[in-house]
Amino acid sequence: MEESVTPLSVLGPQCEAQRERIRKLFESGASAQETLRRLCELADGTIRKVFSELQSARNGASQGLCLLALGGYGREVLFPYSDLDLLFLFANEKIETESRPLIGEFARTLWDLGFRVSSAGRTVDECKRIEQDNAEFHLAMLDRRYLDGDQALFEKLDSKILSMAERQARPFLLDELQRLTRDRLGRYGNTIFHLEPNVKDAPGGLRDFHSTVWMRQLAGDRRDPRLSPVNENELTRNAVEFLSAVRCFVHYSNGRNDNALTYELQAEAAERSLGIDDNLRRNAAEWMRLYFRHARTLNRQLLRYVEQRPPVTLSLGQRLINAAMGPKAEVPNGRPFAVRDGLLEITNEQAFADRTVIYSLLTEAARTGVPLSGDAERSIAYVMTHPEWPLRNSRITWPVLTEILGADYPGAALRPMHRLDLLVEALPEFRVIDSLVVRDFYHRYTVDEHSLRTIEHLQELAESPEPLGKHFAPLWRTVDRRDLLIFSLLLHDVGKGMPVENHVTGSLQALEIAADRMKLTPEEKEEVHFLIEHHLDMSATVQRRDIFDPATVSGFAAMVSAHERLQRLCLMTYADIHAVNPEALTPWKAEMLWQLFVATSNHFSRTLDRDRLHASDEAVLLERVREQSGGAKKAEIARFLEGFPRRYLAVHLPAEIAAHFALSRKLGSEPVQTEIKKTHHGYTLTLLTADRPALFATIAGTLAAWGMNIVKADAFANAAGVVLDTFNFVDLHRTLELNPGEILRFQQSIADVLNGKQALEPLLKGRLAAAVAQPPKVVVSTSINFDDGSSEHCTLVEIMTQDRPGLLYGIGSALARLACNIDVALIDTEGQKAIDVFYLTSQGKKLTTQKQEILREVLQATLS
Amino acid sequence: MMKIEAIIQPSRFESVKDALLEIGIEGMTVIEVRGHGRQKGHTEVYRGREYTVDLLPKVKLEVVLPDQLVTRAVEAILKSAKTGKIGDGKIFLSRVEEAIRIRNEERGDSAL
Repeated sequence: MEESVTPLSVLGPQCEAQRERIRKLFESGASAQETLRRLCELADGTIRKVFSELQSARNGASQGLCLLALGGYGREVLFPYSDLDLLFLFANEKIETESRPLIGEFARTLWDLGFRVSSAGRTVDECKRIEQDNAEFHLAMLDRRYLDGDQALFEKLDSKILSMAERQARPFLLDELQRLTRDRLGRYGNTIFHLEPNVKDAPGGLRDFHSTVWMRQLAGDRRDPRLSPVNENELTRNAVEFLSAVRCFVHYSNGRNDNALTYELQAEAAERSLGIDDNLRRNAAEWMRLYFRHARTLNRQLLRYVEQRPPVTLSLGQRLINAAMGPKAEVPNGRPFAVRDGLLEITNEQAFADRTVIYSLLTEAARTGVPLSGDAERSIAYVMTHPEWPLRNSRITWPVLTEILGADYPGAALRPMHRLDLLVEALPEFRVIDSLVVRDFYHRYTVDEHSLRTIEHLQELAESPEPLGKHFAPLWRTVDRRDLLIFSLLLHDVGKGMPVENHVTGSLQALEIAADRMKLTPEEKEEVHFLIEHHLDMSATVQRRDIFDPATVSGFAAMVSAHERLQRLCLMTYADIHAVNPEALTPWKAEMLWQLFVATSNHFSRTLDRDRLHASDEAVLLERVREQSGGAKKAEIARFLEGFPRRYLAVHLPAEIAAHFALSRKLGSEPVQTEIKKTHHGYTLTLLTADRPALFATIAGTLAAWGMNIVKADAFANAAGVVLDTFNFVDLHRTLELNPGEILRFQQSIADVLNGKQALEPLLKGRLAAAVAQPPKVVVSTSINFDDGSSEHCTLVEIMTQDRPGLLYGIGSALARLACNIDVALIDTEGQKAIDVFYLTSQGKKLTTQKQEILREVLQATLS
Repeated sequence: MMKIEAIIQPSRFESVKDALLEIGIEGMTVIEVRGHGRQKGHTEVYRGREYTVDLLPKVKLEVVLPDQLVTRAVEAILKSAKTGKIGDGKIFLSRVEEAIRIRNEERGDSAL
């Protein structure tokens, strides 16, 4: 340095002393705003001094060269270890060339004084051009501030050149800012709820606020949102002050420009009551809740300006299907909401004082995957908090919640419900995990965020699943009682916010309260109880047991007890691991999980007849059935249960078994007993009768004759020869729905066909002819596999083929023609594919190889 | 010092980890791997689709130890990973020339 310049040995300690003084003031309670201002003044003063002294020492004139502050420093917001963004502005290239030595020395001096300088140089002419590949620079220029040098040059740039160039470039800069913002939010998983958040760049961090200010500026609104006379902006002001204090603290604690709010720093911040005016003591988790409250304010403001996208990318086909399945979304259809630009918008704000209307909007979002617009959410929030619109129908009922939870995109409703506090209104048990930080090395998100992510990972399976999800996508599409699975996911971790040793215990306690309040049926409650209680077991089995050992599979299958439940537990496990952090579900783990699922599923379908019920071993069950059977004798119940496959117990609860038993008692007076129930996806027919040839085919044929499409079925027989068949079917022509009186006629028709009072063929003829004319949407090739090893007494035949009306009738008839007795049948459908497993005997024995070949040929002919 | 690389059954990992902890070995690197030796894969059929599992899931442990601990560590792994069936895995030993702790640049056994 030249002699006329203040030596570093003098300036250095001065700067250091000033920094230390500012730090001590902050630590003794100075506000963040004051701290940032003082740091900025220190930088301004030092820069001006060094710049002017170096200029004088080099006999340089200040004309044609000036120094600007950009970005955060330009806004006079300088954090303890932040970079100083500087721009050297030159009148022309000649001055730029002449100034190089000065700039080099200036930058070195500032580095030596402890300032992290990030500088750029431009001539005035260069500033006229908008660099398409450097939007960040132009955005930083929006916060330019004169520091030193040729002020006239700065005025020229500011008022003449940039004002015009920036006006013309506004659309480009706004687009680029939105893109950069989306990328940034995406890098952090689009959530504020990180366990160790980055207070600058993560969603809800200070960058959100600055991006909001830029977006408003580029959109032509130059007001600082903190100064807006809207009540919400007081929240913003507080949030900026709080987060600025946190960032100062984090910088001072780390001694560098590191913005990660680690667990250790959270504890220290809570201990110091950082950013809080009251004197209440808070632990780290409570202090983090305040952090997230402020982060949420900044993030919400930003999202107003960021283009929203559906939570999952819907294919054109799916959008068309969604639109066709329900009322056309674009047309309000008497409802106070409609779809505009791919978002659900509110058309009549007042109507939303009625919670029923809010839930109908949320159900629409869950059904179609179309997200609520930011304006719609704000309108609902406004209505919910303003007493001039009194609240109506505040309590959500289980059937309404079920519609949301059971839809294809439950996350599209649950996410805004959580933001609007409607989720805790509907499910108060969720409140204890709101913004809850639970420290461990694996989870990246707060407990509520993790829970919602589990659900979103599942709904992503509906559309173009990532490679990890390819096996699990069909499970999600075909899972039964999806609502119970989603409800379990909402509650599975609430115990983490309760004062219990094991969080599963807490979650089960919460379920008890929620289930009683919402009036879940005992069956529903039992299923959710199972899923919560065992939500870690499948993962534990995958990681701690040899899943290729048949004993492991058999033990696991015994715990799960039924395929339907296995499917739910597998999806729950997939989602739970996936939502821990983006890397938690490795291809290795996904493959192991899938292998266990396949092995267990095959175990269920291949061992059905191996494990038969012996009523004498089921004292508890007998008692429970007796209680619900009006005091029938245990011996009579035992006779009914004896010999059914154990799967019968797995798929039916005591109340249902009691109902079956009641039907069986009437067989003496009426040899065919039927019961029809409406279910979520169609109807269930339960039928009891004495076993007879071609029984299964005849029932399937009668259902087909009535236009019913069988999607699932079980056929069991007990030791007394009573057959209990359960058919789940879809009423393709809505015959029963539109004509409830037809249900009785339908039941009578089944009984008449089985009792030989009515012929099946004439009934079937017209229906099957009409069905054949319709080509399939997806072609499924037929495969027929025999298995003699899985069962001691039966030959298993597994048939995969194109689903179509009357299919089961065709298969059942073929089996009957070859005198094959169906011991057990398991019928399932996966989209257009029918998957049927039959346990067959012929004259009480397994099928011979010769008979298997004949059957294969007959079935091939029937199915081709 | 020696590097121990042990390829074991995933189901034995917790036992092996506990066994190493018992003899004072806390640090290790764990990698999810797939492969096969004599234990060949198999084919599962689910709903008409064949799923061939030719590379079986294993866990690979890596630990670098001072010479005097190696024998005990190998014994601990053998004892806790062995089921007696094909597919129990393998242990590889190799000599390591130097270890350096990045934080404070310590070298040799004290960096382990």
